[in-house]
Amino acid sequence: MGQQGDFLQVLQEQGYAMDTLFPSSNGISALAHPDLTTGTTVFAMKYADGVLVAGDRRATAGNVVMYDRTDKVLEIDRFSVMAIAGVPATAFEMARVLEHSFKYYRRSQLQDLSFEGKLRALSTLLKNNAPAALAGTGTVVPVYAGYDQLEGCGKIFFYDILGAEFEAVEYAVSGSGSSTIRGILYYMNRWGNNGPVAGMNEEDALTFILRLMTSAAEFDSATGGVDAQAQLYPIVKRVSAEGVRTIPADRLKSLYSEKVLT
Amino acid sequence: MYEEPYRWIEAVANRRNYLDDQFSQGNPLVAVSFAKGILLVTVNRGTEKIYEIYDRIALGGMGHPADLEKLRYTLLDMAHVEGFQRSPSDVTVARLMKNGLAPVIKQAFEEIYKAPYITKVLLAEVGATQDRDRIFSINYDGMYEEQKEFGLLAASPSIRESLVEEWKAQERPTSLQNALEVSLRLWGISSLLQASTSVPDAEEEETVSSTIDVVSTIPDDEAIATRIKETLAKETLECVLLDRESGKMETYRTLTQSELQPLIPKYFEPVKES
Repeated sequence: MGQQGDFLQVLQEQGYAMDTLFPSSNGISALAHPDLTTGTTVFAMKYADGVLVAGDRRATAGNVVMYDRTDKVLEIDRFSVMAIAGVPATAFEMARVLEHSFKYYRRSQLQDLSFEGKLRALSTLLKNNAPAALAGTGTVVPVYAGYDQLEGCGKIFFYDILGAEFEAVEYAVSGSGSSTIRGILYYMNRWGNNGPVAGMNEEDALTFILRLMTSAAEFDSATGGVDAQAQLYPIVKRVSAEGVRTIPADRLKSLYSEKVLT
Repeated sequence: MYEEPYRWIEAVANRRNYLDDQFSQGNPLVAVSFAKGILLVTVNRGTEKIYEIYDRIALGGMGHPADLEKLRYTLLDMAHVEGFQRSPSDVTVARLMKNGLAPVIKQAFEEIYKAPYITKVLLAEVGATQDRDRIFSINYDGMYEEQKEFGLLAASPSIRESLVEEWKAQERPTSLQNALEVSLRLWGISSLLQASTSVPDAEEEETVSSTIDVVSTIPDDEAIATRIKETLAKETLECVLLDRESGKMETYRTLTQSELQPLIPKYFEPVKES
């Protein structure tokens, strides 16, 4: 029974095990399967009104583009989003487990799971997934952003593949394109004309995000960037006291043509 | 001693008496479907009686809180595992009731060596359109009923019957305010009928048979209004809306006291001393 509000335990009692999906002991490794779909640019960044989380939309397998409309910024509940990099099958599964876990907790315990509790839940999933992560068949490196209602502020966390959790002060990045934008973020945050990113207004922050995505796509073939011709813009979500809101593609479109192309 | 069939029947009949007695002090619960969604209404003395089960499903209970809690977990587990392994749209109130709740309650009722669940449960599911709303109510013996626009938990079958008749005679609610008025009125009638049928232990069987007539008469409007007012003065009105127009996956919303008071101000006026 899930009297403690632990949905994962309820699932396990029903015979569910996440690692059976990606067995690691039978010698499968990423080297043997170089074409597992990975490669991405996702990041979260604090700005004046909260946190913005962005992700490109390309899914690749090796040098093949599999899909150009992936949503890698997943809404877990009203106040948190997870941006995923790594093997999508495992990542989407984790997101679904989290989503149901938080709902189950709220409905059974009649109170919301604390923000810290949510972070622990993701950490536990990653830890349980470690064998598949090390084998390369189930590697997931997420960025988790949410609004902490107890403390009244937006927060960003990033993880390593084994489940270690780190809080980001200003921004966190993940995915194959992240090394490019990490440098830009560091530079802009320290010496940029607009001052530290956390002080930017929404318009400047969104413009910055579109420029970052474009830069990532320039140097990383696995990052989709912006394709204005195909009307493909990154997914950007805003996390604040009012909850999670998706920035409409129209807004990104006009900012892109006004401030990125020129 | 229960091996003989008639002993068993006797034991089950005793159980019915025992259980009916347990519910005589319980609070009725009403659910009505209208354009905006499904409204569940009851009054509580501190322990909540209405709970969220899944995205579009709410539970209302009457009876012992510990039993209700146990059944609530059964439903939560079933709904969430199904919603996770298949899809949220596969979680339906019909399946929860028929496969989940009814067999459990029936078995507990008929296993006469063990304690039965002292609880009656109502499950409501709001559909995309009003004709897809479903409301199930189950008795302590595992018998359940399916309805589309109205559901009720009442202390006894005869009160239940009177209220179903009353509902049929009424106009269908159109707005939230309307639905609240209709539900509260039904709640008030149920509560009054219950008070008039709960006979003190000392009285003989004759009195019981004479009260059956009382049950079929619906109290007048003034008596109903007074009953509701008096109750709300000392107990808490509990209202949940399964909001069809929420625009989100989740539809469950508890209506706050400050939302409720302007909708039904007359029931919140201080009770006149007379």
